[in-house]
Amino acid sequence: MKVIKAIYNFIVGDMVILIGVALAIIVLTLINNVGALAPLKGFSGLFLIIAVLGSLVASLSREADIWR
Amino acid sequence: MQWVVATAAFLASAVEFVEAFTIVLVVGVTVNWRSALLGALAAAATLALLVATLGVALVQWVPLDILRTVIGTLLLLFGLKWLKNAIMRYAGLKARHDEEAIYEETQAELRARGEVDASSSRFDLFGFLLSYKSVLLEGLEVAFIVITFGLSAATSTVSRSSGIASAALGALLAGLLVILVGALVRAPLANVPENTLKFVVGIMLTTFGTFWLGEGFGGEWPLSDVFLLILAAIYLGASFLLIAWLKQVKKQQQARARESQSVPTPAQTQEVKP
Repeated sequence: MKVIKAIYNFIVGDMVILIGVALAIIVLTLINNVGALAPLKGFSGLFLIIAVLGSLVASLSREADIWR
Repeated sequence: MQWVVATAAFLASAVEFVEAFTIVLVVGVTVNWRSALLGALAAAATLALLVATLGVALVQWVPLDILRTVIGTLLLLFGLKWLKNAIMRYAGLKARHDEEAIYEETQAELRARGEVDASSSRFDLFGFLLSYKSVLLEGLEVAFIVITFGLSAATSTVSRSSGIASAALGALLAGLLVILVGALVRAPLANVPENTLKFVVGIMLTTFGTFWLGEGFGGEWPLSDVFLLILAAIYLGASFLLIAWLKQVKKQQQARARESQSVPTPAQTQEVKP
């Protein structure tokens, strides 16, 4: 458990960012593998950028809330 | 030679080496230089071994498509962590790294331990381990960046080992520069703009992470590699907006704190009444 926590802290150390990036990867996997979602493939880059910015904003909002 | 990779590795390594240098310096001055330098050299050898073994293993056995997705994800996570911390430091929500304070603190800790004879050149295990640990911990981030960033540079025309070599060269130059400046100054390198370097590296790692993760999922970016510049501009612009917003939050918080201090408490109000 200590090793996992050390790796988590070393690589990301922020649950909001981790969940945001993980969700983005899940959605991208679905877009790539589910036939019904294939028309969205052209927007996967745009979706990824929005997901990255969303994760950053969400993580910083949480920090700002602590200060409020 | 991959200049972008080498530059990113150089900047990231410079920050980490400055932090490690402070501890090596304090061990050298307070305990003795023999133990401090042996600890730093042993840690550098450990890191070189790590980059060589892990780097070669990844280069030889992992397919490029899988590697792009994994490396893209790791770069993105790592980059967002650096970027978030740099934004918070710019906004004043997180304390900046103060090398002089760390130097004083570590020196006080070492002196409190007693049995310190700086004039002696006898090998000191505690000094060796402290120096080794600080260089290894700070260097692990450098090793991680060298491997991931070096591998991310792999394309159909550029080999993966060439990317790692470029990143390693950037890191090596940063290490030599820090050692050279440190040897001349003989004081904590407090004037290095650590947060600016971390901010730039955070933008670079996040940009490349997004790019490679997108490609790992079979996506194609408009304008091909030129889109890296557009991505960097998007993240840079968003970061400046976030810094401005967080500064506003901090100002509001400080104003509220001042107001709550100036409003008299019920006890004070009663005292004034006749």
